Amino acid sequence: MKMNEISILMHLLSRRVSLYEFGATEDELLKYLNIKGKNKHVYLKKLIIDLSNYIEPLGYNIKFNPLNFYWYISIKSEISDMFKTNPFEGHPSLAATLFCTLACCLKNEGCTQIQEIIKLRKKKNLSEDLKDLSKKGYLLIDHKQNEIRLTPLIGYQIDLNQLIMNLALKKSKANAQY
Amino acid sequence: MGYDDISEELTNYMDSIKEDVVTGRISLLELELNPIFDQLKESLSVYNIFNYSQTYQQACDLLSLKFEELKNLLNHLDNDEIFLQFLKSNPNDNEIEQILGNCWRTVFHLESISPEFMSYSNTRFSKDRVLTEKIEHIRKEQIGGSFLLEIPRQKFTEKMMDFYKKIKKKLPCKFDELFDGIQDQVEVYEYFVYILHLLQIGLFKYQKATTIIYE
Repeated sequence: MKMNEISILMHLLSRRVSLYEFGATEDELLKYLNIKGKNKHVYLKKLIIDLSNYIEPLGYNIKFNPLNFYWYISIKSEISDMFKTNPFEGHPSLAATLFCTLACCLKNEGCTQIQEIIKLRKKKNLSEDLKDLSKKGYLLIDHKQNEIRLTPLIGYQIDLNQLIMNLALKKSKANAQY
Repeated sequence: MGYDDISEELTNYMDSIKEDVVTGRISLLELELNPIFDQLKESLSVYNIFNYSQTYQQACDLLSLKFEELKNLLNHLDNDEIFLQFLKSNPNDNEIEQILGNCWRTVFHLESISPEFMSYSNTRFSKDRVLTEKIEHIRKEQIGGSFLLEIPRQKFTEKMMDFYKKIKKKLPCKFDELFDGIQDQVEVYEYFVYILHLLQIGLFKYQKATTIIYE
């Protein structure tokens, strides 16, 4: 019985829903696993922890994407490093544009004006970078409104907590120098 | 297995860490404390437990310091602003790429075994695979004429004894000489089998050193 639940959970967390969505939301998990009752969330969390413990020795982790509230399976960082997970290796300009888009979107609840990114990036034209990032599934461009919206993909591919930690450490180091 | 007392060594190491933290040379958040606890665990014995309990306490103090540092860091985090503050320092593209460096991770997904794929496969195979071949039963053929297999006219023992009588006059002789004048390889093989049987039942004897067959 338990194994069946774990199998279904594994399927749901490792599926690709769209170009920029993987895994399943908590509601979907509860629905597919037919978990009901007062303690359904506790029971689901326990299942997720059980599966996590089960797959951890194989080099996998269960993660939560805060941008779209999906649970999904990620490959552990040490193993990811071996596969060179950085999709922008050798393209620092694209990485920088994505970073600025992320900064703007976090400030404006998920979307921002193209002009704002250009201002932050201190570049005259970013249309090529934005087109590339859109093709890769990181953002959606609304040409009419001149607006950019982040897709949840960045929440899957970037450990946002680690990024914030890196920025905070950078800041504290800079403060210590002055 | 020896249990060395490395408590003093660890205490000195932890003192140096504390000094570096206080002077701002390092941050405890960048330092792994696991090796200290691992070393303590691996070298612990009943003989050094008294010294070790103090070292362990010191390691725990360091760990709570690390938690404190993390708590302070989290309290000071203002997620939106921290991005903009970093960009205000005018980092170049490579610096921005570096800050993202250890944050990338890979999503694991198995499309090939997803329920959607299995459902699709099930529909596809059920529809597309039509069984057209029919299994026909084989009819018994009428066979006329003689039977295919030929039965030898003589039995094996009779043929072997005929061969024995034929070569008996030659003995004793070398093993090779028994096959003199025989060109057909099938015949050679047949005689060789007879010789083996005759040796086995003791009508012939064989001297390995000289390869002579005798009675």
